[in-house]
Amino acid sequence: MPREADPSNNEREFVLSALRENVRLDGRAFDQFRDVDLAFGEEYGAADVRIGKTRVMVKISAEVVTPYADRKFDGIFTISTELSPIASPAFEVGRQDQTEILLSRLLEKTIRRSGALDTESLCIIAGQKCFHIRADVHVLDYDGNIADASCLALVAALMHFRRPDVEVHGEDVTVFGLREREPIKLQMQHQPFCITTSYFDGGEVMLHDASLLEEQCREGEVIISINRFGEVCQISKYGGPPIDGLSILTCTNMALEKAKMLDKVVKAKLEEDEKKRDKGGLMAELRADNEREQG
Amino acid sequence: MADTAILLPGEEVLSESLPKSKKGTLTLGPGLRHIPPSTILSTTSGTLHVDHKKAALWIEHAHGRYLPAVGDLVIAQIHHSSAEAYACSLTPNTPFALLGQLAFEGANKKTRPQLKAGDLVYARIVKASKWEDTEIECYNSSTGKAEGMGPLSGGMAFDVSPAFARRLMMGTDKNGKQKGEVVVLEEVGEKVRFEVAVGRNGKVWVDSGSVKETVVIGRLLKEADESGLDVEAQRKAIKKALKEVGK
Amino acid sequence: MPLDSSTYALAHLRVDGRRWKELRRIHGQMSTQAAADGSSYFEMGNTKIICTVLGPRQPTKSGGRDQSREAIIEVEIGVAGFSGMDRKKRSRNDKRTQEMQYTISSAFASTVFTSQYPHSTITIVLHVLSQDGALLAACINAATLALIDAGVPMQDYIAACTTGSTASYASNDEDADPLLDLNGMEELELPFLTMGTSGGEDKVNVLVMETRIQMPRLEAMVSVGLDGCKQVRNILDGIVREHGKKLLSSR
Repeated sequence: MPREADPSNNEREFVLSALRENVRLDGRAFDQFRDVDLAFGEEYGAADVRIGKTRVMVKISAEVVTPYADRKFDGIFTISTELSPIASPAFEVGRQDQTEILLSRLLEKTIRRSGALDTESLCIIAGQKCFHIRADVHVLDYDGNIADASCLALVAALMHFRRPDVEVHGEDVTVFGLREREPIKLQMQHQPFCITTSYFDGGEVMLHDASLLEEQCREGEVIISINRFGEVCQISKYGGPPIDGLSILTCTNMALEKAKMLDKVVKAKLEEDEKKRDKGGLMAELRADNEREQG
Repeated sequence: MADTAILLPGEEVLSESLPKSKKGTLTLGPGLRHIPPSTILSTTSGTLHVDHKKAALWIEHAHGRYLPAVGDLVIAQIHHSSAEAYACSLTPNTPFALLGQLAFEGANKKTRPQLKAGDLVYARIVKASKWEDTEIECYNSSTGKAEGMGPLSGGMAFDVSPAFARRLMMGTDKNGKQKGEVVVLEEVGEKVRFEVAVGRNGKVWVDSGSVKETVVIGRLLKEADESGLDVEAQRKAIKKALKEVGK
Repeated sequence: MPLDSSTYALAHLRVDGRRWKELRRIHGQMSTQAAADGSSYFEMGNTKIICTVLGPRQPTKSGGRDQSREAIIEVEIGVAGFSGMDRKKRSRNDKRTQEMQYTISSAFASTVFTSQYPHSTITIVLHVLSQDGALLAACINAATLALIDAGVPMQDYIAACTTGSTASYASNDEDADPLLDLNGMEELELPFLTMGTSGGEDKVNVLVMETRIQMPRLEAMVSVGLDGCKQVRNILDGIVREHGKKLLSSR
């Protein structure tokens, strides 16, 4: 099984001694994120997030299926994650390693279990037809902090996505194409964001948005998912050296700040995207003399 | 480096860009292929470089991972040790290079450096072939002298691209100008004292004794590498960065 | 089957008659399996776990040369089909189980002196016989006992318990009470977290929460959890001492 190459002893010691002097290798403050860049695709529901050199792409798709027998009034929402060798030679195709399982569990807990997406609104005819919303998370480049990046991309993609409109006449369901009728936004109840805090020296040093090297040197991490209203959706501190109970509460407070920051980024980018798409309604789009897109 | 041209794979090297000296045979460097009778094709994309005096031409490119070549100085990381050799990694996820337990200056069975997994050494490649393990050593086996090689302790190893590492090692021409057009180490060296080792495998080890200065040097190197700064821009960045650490 | 937690406000008694800060009955035994290097049986209310520890021993999985300077801790969790309310087979590759295995192994990796056993593996095997809430906490406690029985050097016990809050996540009522050690029914209904501490002095080793909750609730839950873990620790300590006495007297 290939593994991410371990950093050398020199690098490990240097990173630690630098952190003790309040210096990060890339000159950031401890709680500072790298540049967060979010871009949407041509289609609805494609989001591409870059945090520093880490890059994650999410695509949402919808299809009409029969709901689960035990959940007749709910639509289906699944998240699939993929860490392929495109991100790093340490990942293998078709084989789930620890990182991938933890990442998919994390997204599951953050987005699905916290009820971020209202699955009841995906029901078309109870017990017969519903939408299956599928989110594919692809990590394209791995330089640490994939949890935060994936969660951000997933939330942004869900907010960007539009599902086709449907009409129900008794038992008959008509699904309208994107051209026929304005597609409909998904109903999001809240937007949670994952914030990973890496700690060193038993909680003396706390870092946000650790790079790969910092992740390899850290003692442990606390991953907190929180929305801008201060609702904590999930906390995971899987083992690692013990830290004060109080520091975990401090982590949550810091995470709230960061979640608000990411929330603003997503909102601003969505607005920007909407403006770009808005050509003045369907009629304006159908006019013969509209501007052709430059190929 | 006035006469450089960009070549794409499969492109022919025009006869006017061949070395002008008549004597001696033409030497083809990496990235070029001779197709008899008189065609020279490039096998990769990059810039064509010509040395008229030595009648040599080669292609410089900034992609791909490092491939070991005999005589290259590299920074290797010990992975594990066996009875007669240390297995070292030059680049991640590639076969290990072997470093003999006694391939150090003044080493014999009783006194030899005890290296742990994860330690760094500055070494020279003595054997590189497709079919066998790469071998490296930390001394010049013909003279028995270390010549600056050996274990690296402290400091920090920064990752740069192999092409940038090569540029760092090109040295100066007769006017004292940097052939590789990287002035970071020299310019910073006027203000800050530090030790440095450049490995062709894309690693630069820096130790200035102070964390802040070392970080600044690393950052300048990475910036010059990744954003392709020219000499002027490098000088500007250096001035700004040195001001920050109070030099 | 939703649990009617509204009655709590009237008598301040929970569905099983406990007060807010009461643990369920905890019972533990050590050296229950003769074949293993260390073993334990642990009950937290109706959650019942058997744990065996194998090792430290040579790695059995042939993963090439093992050059690690520290012992690797492997955890296997088997959930019996009859352990829950409805008979459901949970596969070994279930992501939730794998996450729990990872949590337990990394929790103990920082408490066990792994550097004393280079090139070796310690395997913790957990069998869940019956589930009624606090599954992860019970697993951690059982593993602590079994590791002590196996004589693996550790810095401290890892003692774990769960805490919840009577506030459902939607409401932000100020007078919501924190609850200690939720049972299975309460876990379905109320937000809760699992916490494991070691080293005393309120040091948190493991903290896992999966349900949505208002941030101000968290503080109360964490402090009740710390207190609960202290109680569990004392009980574990009692079990170990009891076992030690028995061993000495049987000589």
